[in-house]
Amino acid sequence: MDFTSGQFWTSPITYMVFVPVVGALVMLLVPKANETAHKVLALVTSLVTAAIGISILTAFNYDSAGELQGVVDTDWIPFINANWIVGVDGISLPMIALTLLIVPLCVVYSWDHIPSPGNAKAFLILILVLDTGMLGSFVAQDLILFFVFFEVVLLPMYFMIGVWGGENRQYASIKFFLYTLFGSALMIVAFISLYFLSGAETFSMIELPGLAQSITHGWQLVIFGGMLIGFGIKVPMFPVHTWLPDAHTQAPTVGSVILAAVLLKLGTYGFIRIAIPILPEAARSYQWLIGLLAVIGIIYGALCCLAQTDMKRLIAFSSVAHMGYVMLAIATLTTFGINAAIFGMVAHGLITGMLFFVAGSTKERYHTLEIKRLGGLLKQAPRMGWILGLATMASLGLPGLAGFWGEFPAILSAYDPTNADYSTGFFGVSNLVLFRVFMVVAAIGTVFAAGYLLFLFQRVAFGVPSEEFEHEPIPDVNRFEWIAWVPMLVLIVVLGVYPNLIFSVTDSTVAPMMQLAAGG
Amino acid sequence: MLLGFEAPSIDFHALAPEIVVTATLAVLILVDAFTPKQAKSAQSSIAGLGLLLALVPVVTLAVDGGTRVMFEGAFVVDTFSLVLTGLFLVSGYVVILLSQTYIAEGDYWEGEYYQLLLASILGMMVMASARDLITVFIALELLSIPAYMLAAWRKRDLRSDEAGIKYYLMGVFASAVLLYGMSLLYGLTGTTMLSEIATKLAGEDVPSAAVLAIVFIVVGFGFKVSAVPFHTWAPDTYEGAPTPVTAFLAVASKAAGFVALMIVVFGAFPFRVDIVEPLFWALAVATMFVGNLIALRQTNVVRMLAYSGIAQAGYMLAPLAVAGTVGDAAVQSILIYLMIYATMNLGAFAVVIAASRKTRSGELTSFAGLVRYAPGLAVAMAMFLFSLAGIPPLGGWFAKFGIFKTLVEADSAAGYSLAIIVGVNSVIALFYYARVAKTMIMDDVPDGDLSPVQVPVSLRAAISITLVLTVVFGILPQLVAGLTDNATLLSAVAVP
Amino acid sequence: MLAQVFSAVDACASTTADTAACGQTYSDFLRQWLTVAIFTGVAFGMGAVMLGIAAVLRPSNKRTGAYQNQKRIGYESGVDPVGSGWTQTQVRYYIFALLFVLFDVEAVFIFPWAMRLEDYGTFGLIEMLIFIALLALGLVYAVRKKVLQWL
Repeated sequence: MDFTSGQFWTSPITYMVFVPVVGALVMLLVPKANETAHKVLALVTSLVTAAIGISILTAFNYDSAGELQGVVDTDWIPFINANWIVGVDGISLPMIALTLLIVPLCVVYSWDHIPSPGNAKAFLILILVLDTGMLGSFVAQDLILFFVFFEVVLLPMYFMIGVWGGENRQYASIKFFLYTLFGSALMIVAFISLYFLSGAETFSMIELPGLAQSITHGWQLVIFGGMLIGFGIKVPMFPVHTWLPDAHTQAPTVGSVILAAVLLKLGTYGFIRIAIPILPEAARSYQWLIGLLAVIGIIYGALCCLAQTDMKRLIAFSSVAHMGYVMLAIATLTTFGINAAIFGMVAHGLITGMLFFVAGSTKERYHTLEIKRLGGLLKQAPRMGWILGLATMASLGLPGLAGFWGEFPAILSAYDPTNADYSTGFFGVSNLVLFRVFMVVAAIGTVFAAGYLLFLFQRVAFGVPSEEFEHEPIPDVNRFEWIAWVPMLVLIVVLGVYPNLIFSVTDSTVAPMMQLAAGG
Repeated sequence: MLLGFEAPSIDFHALAPEIVVTATLAVLILVDAFTPKQAKSAQSSIAGLGLLLALVPVVTLAVDGGTRVMFEGAFVVDTFSLVLTGLFLVSGYVVILLSQTYIAEGDYWEGEYYQLLLASILGMMVMASARDLITVFIALELLSIPAYMLAAWRKRDLRSDEAGIKYYLMGVFASAVLLYGMSLLYGLTGTTMLSEIATKLAGEDVPSAAVLAIVFIVVGFGFKVSAVPFHTWAPDTYEGAPTPVTAFLAVASKAAGFVALMIVVFGAFPFRVDIVEPLFWALAVATMFVGNLIALRQTNVVRMLAYSGIAQAGYMLAPLAVAGTVGDAAVQSILIYLMIYATMNLGAFAVVIAASRKTRSGELTSFAGLVRYAPGLAVAMAMFLFSLAGIPPLGGWFAKFGIFKTLVEADSAAGYSLAIIVGVNSVIALFYYARVAKTMIMDDVPDGDLSPVQVPVSLRAAISITLVLTVVFGILPQLVAGLTDNATLLSAVAVP
Repeated sequence: MLAQVFSAVDACASTTADTAACGQTYSDFLRQWLTVAIFTGVAFGMGAVMLGIAAVLRPSNKRTGAYQNQKRIGYESGVDPVGSGWTQTQVRYYIFALLFVLFDVEAVFIFPWAMRLEDYGTFGLIEMLIFIALLALGLVYAVRKKVLQWL
């Protein structure tokens, strides 16, 4: 960062990204015993961050949402020509908004839910560092800057799972770490190849889309392949999804929520922001493969869900299925599909985040998530039961709730993929035929989804409490849970009723981007 | 017939860092000779001060810029040598900080310790400027011989004796091989000046013996940088030597070996990359894999760091395998790696020394639950380890990035294959680094003893310096990359 | 070796290379490394031959008795040794010897220097004084460490 640059110091984006770290540094100086001070500091920091973020969102010119706004471009590492380029446009905006919302809610939720073995100081500091990493990834417009922020989230998440996680936490945390690191090693080689092979020697995401066309098709395929694995692990795509169920299941509640709501989105965001605009030609060649893996993920995730006996693990596998819809929508490479994907990302973030919150609170009350042993939640804690009901309904794609607008357009977009006549590597079947098959399969997937989610809701919420918990006093939703959950619930409903809130922002960015990609 | 003698013009400014260190050495010996045995604490302060003082001319020389050539080209002070001299001085200073209490509290010879340390650092500084076979060899011996003695500094401890004798025997063997190669080279070209050798070897018809000479020289330095299969001394020596000495060997001594390799490869063989490149490709691959795979199985942290150091040497060897195509970019990426590696590795050793003050052992299990009674140390160690693993935003990521960039820049089969192998190895390496962090942070204290660790001021200073630098280098890599901007070795070689 | 494949691949994959050139690279490469292989072979072969000849020529060591005992006696210039080979010697001898060698080598440098002192002039004088001063430092150190006291 060029510290002499006024641009850097006057941009609100700078402050949005770095305020959480500054807050974390302040917290480092406060003694560990003073937990309340840490909670207040963390909340204030995340709220200040959100406030700065909201000021960016309000200053955003929605009439020209297609353009990158608030761009700052100064030197960072001149030695490799990597620059501090940040900006916000219609694609990153919903993601930033999601992050700004989730983090303060997680801090609020942590108020009386610091998981064992305690140590609020370290836990909250990690959340704030995650905040910086996530926001940084979504505003970065330089590949190296993106890479660094993308990786910044790794360490806090590793420790969050490894220290505060469930019984099998150490296995889950190192698995998460190794998978992601393997992906990022491939990703960074792909980025550097782009740097040299494009002949431009630049990492700027703004300039590269036009420049990468000069790369030979074979190399484009190789580079895209590297990114496919790198981002695919993060999404996670079948067959590199196996870290996710472990990580989700073992992570503390807040960790699961952040993981589901924001971290997974980094992968799909990478596809939309980096891989496809820069290498559209290669994207078209890989289209069938991404689509295929996506639908396998949908069906596989759904089948796994049906076999789960643990509530949290079930939700984790449902993430695999839902991200499958997002990937399918991306694979169509149409404006409609990408819009659906972005909406799907936001919806999945809210809904699955909500489900993990409820699962966490359930675990806290019953000390188990074994579906068999639960039951009668509606009797013992009716409000929480209904919240679980709403979240499951949203998750299975009930019209009128946010989940519907993530799933339905994704399936619909597969009806008409781009490049319909292209003969794919899949036995030479044309794209059109292949994607229509995918569409049908994905539609069947929704039936499964309804199956396992209703199964979950029915077994956990309906009926009478099992004998073992019959006489246990199960408290209903408490103050902090209300504060943390209401905004998410409201948004799930609002977005379900008025999806245009997001579509209107994303479409103006996606349309020209896909046009450019198609024209190349 | 007697040739007329002409006194060489000596640029005292250029030689100032070496002169300051030599003078400090003389002062140390005198002070040591005239102080009673119980009052040796001044030694470390004088040595540290001398090293810091020597940094002053390094800075003024850097500000001055330009290249200063002395002794008909045998001794050159340019950006390359200044960056490295600075690196050696700073890491030497940190090693002194690490040693202070360790040496003072144990039953060790205190005065001689710092004298030998300084002598070794002096050898490294000369190495950075040497551009002539004889100067290179003298520098190598000057830096090695004190190190042999330091490795055996824990007298009456069998492991330390083993460390010293192994290091000495392998080192002498390597020197012999190296000398053989050098003598072949001198016989073939009739000169010891690297640039002249380069020109002589540039033609089409190169005698077969040249290949032998090159192989012997690379093998000789291969011992110094502990490249596989010449690494066998390293783990035993690292484990047996006093830990501050291990830190010194793993960082400064290894760096000096790389400097020698770069000087010779780029100075004498820039037109013979057809021979050098495949050799380094094989060395790099073997070093990475063997180092990492054996590190996976270590239960002793110091031994683990030794093997991880071998693997890290593999990463640093990789750019040399594409030296012919990328030229000075390889030098720069290795320099960047050396600087960042020195920072984080010294930090890791500092934490091990600090924590061992309580645990009295280097075994991984004895560090379990460190975070409970020494949270600062545990967090610092985690940072250093993850930096070694190359996780942003800690310094190590940029070091690895530089290697990747150089390898991809070569745009050749050798480059791409190495890039993939480095990637795979980074993942393997993460596993054992993370395991140490895991043990310290997630496991329980073995005997439930939660009494805090007393960390002396000098160690605190060492850990703080290295920790801050590790983080700063990661966030603002330009600080370290910018230093190497003009660090070139090839420009000195005339293209025939 | 994999590495040889790479150079061949690169040579042959580059657009400008004709088949002959990439074949050439390949054989050049092999020829160079053949030297190393031959050298290694000769080195090991020579050792084997010398040990082998010695094994054939020397008297068999299977004999016993006086002859065998003779072989175990330390060699001291043809004179029968006195006592065991494992006697301990005062460590001071070594330190004295070391110091002697040190100043012996110093003399080796000083004699030729003295021959040409006129040519070297002041520069040479100062250089040698520094050299002697540094060595004298060692002597001072030795004296202070009481190395030169015999008892």
